[in-house]
Amino acid sequence: MTSSLLKRGRLLGLVPYAFVAVPLAYMTLFVFGPLIQQVWMSFTDTRLMNPTAGDFIGLENYEDLFTDDQFYTSFRVTIVYTILTVILGVLVGTVSALALDRPFKGRALLRTIMLFGWAVPSVAATLVWLWIFNGPSGVASDITEALGLGRIPWLTSVDWALTSIMFVTIWQVSPFVMLVMMAALQSVPEEVREAARIDGADGLNVFRNVTLPCIMPTMQIVALLVAVWSIRRFEVIYLLTGGGPIGSTSTLVVQLRLTAFEDFELGLASAYGVVGLVLALAVAFVHFLFERRRALVMSK
Amino acid sequence: MKTNPLLSLLRVLLIAVLVTFAGFPIYWMATTSLGTDTQLFNTGQVPYPQLSNLPDLIFALSEVPVLRWMSNTAIIAFGNTVFSLMLGSVLGYALSRFKFHGRGMIGFLMFMTQVIPEALLVVPLYAMFISLGLLNSLWGVILANVGFSVPVAAFILKGAIDAIPYEIEESAIIDSCPRIGILSFIVLPLIAPSLAAAAVICFFGGWNEFLFAVTFLMDPDLWPAAVGLASFIGEYETPLSAVMGTALMFSIPAVVFFLLVQRKIVAGLTSGAVKG
Repeated sequence: MTSSLLKRGRLLGLVPYAFVAVPLAYMTLFVFGPLIQQVWMSFTDTRLMNPTAGDFIGLENYEDLFTDDQFYTSFRVTIVYTILTVILGVLVGTVSALALDRPFKGRALLRTIMLFGWAVPSVAATLVWLWIFNGPSGVASDITEALGLGRIPWLTSVDWALTSIMFVTIWQVSPFVMLVMMAALQSVPEEVREAARIDGADGLNVFRNVTLPCIMPTMQIVALLVAVWSIRRFEVIYLLTGGGPIGSTSTLVVQLRLTAFEDFELGLASAYGVVGLVLALAVAFVHFLFERRRALVMSK
Repeated sequence: MKTNPLLSLLRVLLIAVLVTFAGFPIYWMATTSLGTDTQLFNTGQVPYPQLSNLPDLIFALSEVPVLRWMSNTAIIAFGNTVFSLMLGSVLGYALSRFKFHGRGMIGFLMFMTQVIPEALLVVPLYAMFISLGLLNSLWGVILANVGFSVPVAAFILKGAIDAIPYEIEESAIIDSCPRIGILSFIVLPLIAPSLAAAAVICFFGGWNEFLFAVTFLMDPDLWPAAVGLASFIGEYETPLSAVMGTALMFSIPAVVFFLLVQRKIVAGLTSGAVKG
């Protein structure tokens, strides 16, 4: 019975390919094909007015890129933004998860509220943050004024714009981190924690020696996800500052859009995109290394 | 178990700060939508929702094409759901049930789509849509979105199909029912909850999407709410209450459904990331 089925399984032959053919063709047409085209475009002088006709110009776009001050700004901004949103987003999310770990009355309601930042569509969230950060009337400055710090030009000054954007980003990603970490915390065996406590370990010790090692792998995964999202993130930055003031918040992805649709230089824009892609791939690669190492450790 | 009262107090304070941080913007969105422009810009915002201003808000909203934006949003979201589930269920089934050459590669490619910045596809798709006549059409936006939703749907459905014993399908295979029939009539009904979760995720993926919509749609009549809302930025004709009211109407469905399927979303995203 089983062996005849296995034989059938082998006779399946082309059936698996028939199944994957349509989705794969679709992905090739609308995702991977365009991606390859975009990479190719970075070696051409394509312009938006005539996006299908561009001549091969070798590495000229990359020469332009590497002599452009904006590129170094964008690169640095992307790195700083990614690293800080990962650290702070994971920190705030994990602390939230720990704070809500033990049951108490009203926990479900508070958890729901804490998920808002993740559930609200980015564009709607951006609009309310624009109003909160508004120069003359925004409530963020009302608060700093009341604290004697004066009104802060949150989104319009080079000193504050990136910080404000990171604030909004952390508001958006930390709930997701919290959700994932809450699930991870539930898998920490309570008996082990209890045993450690009976042995006289204080709360901090239990956390450091029992809880943290248990949730560390999940934390790594979520950190890598947040990193990839930060490299990809477009609308929040584009709508809050448009990459300004004077390019100080223009990540590679935002700069790609500005170069393509405001300067109409598709070749140079593509070069920005390729650098962004390489960064995202590097993060994904680190993820795979972690996974491989974990698989090895577990198989031992 | 004894707890230090000071630590308990700190914990309560910490939760209070975190909840305020997380919830305030939405509270402020509601409060602002019920304020008047004079208050908001001159005399100072009233920090609680003034329900007596609700009729003014409704009137202000009637001056904004909210309903058209919402229906365009719903069309994009619905189209994205239908196509993503069709392609995603077939792909998820194949990845779960068949061992074949290139399976690992396909899983890897699907994982890669979660890494690729969408912004990289905008220009080539823009060029493609010009030649296909899909620029300035909701179809173009749907087709572009589907590419990013299929892998997510496939990961979730693969996980669900993995949990179903293969024996259930065997009798049908012996009756030489075509595989696609087995998938549609035996497997999919069994994973209905995951299918529903995947549908919600795809729906709100399309609902929230901004970059493709803002690039491919020039005609304001075709704008989804995300693009319409963004068009308020730097425009001072529309009262702020109407802007926030629109943002609220656009957010509420997403918030409700995301909260309903939160666990599935987390499982889908992290398992996709873990298994590649």
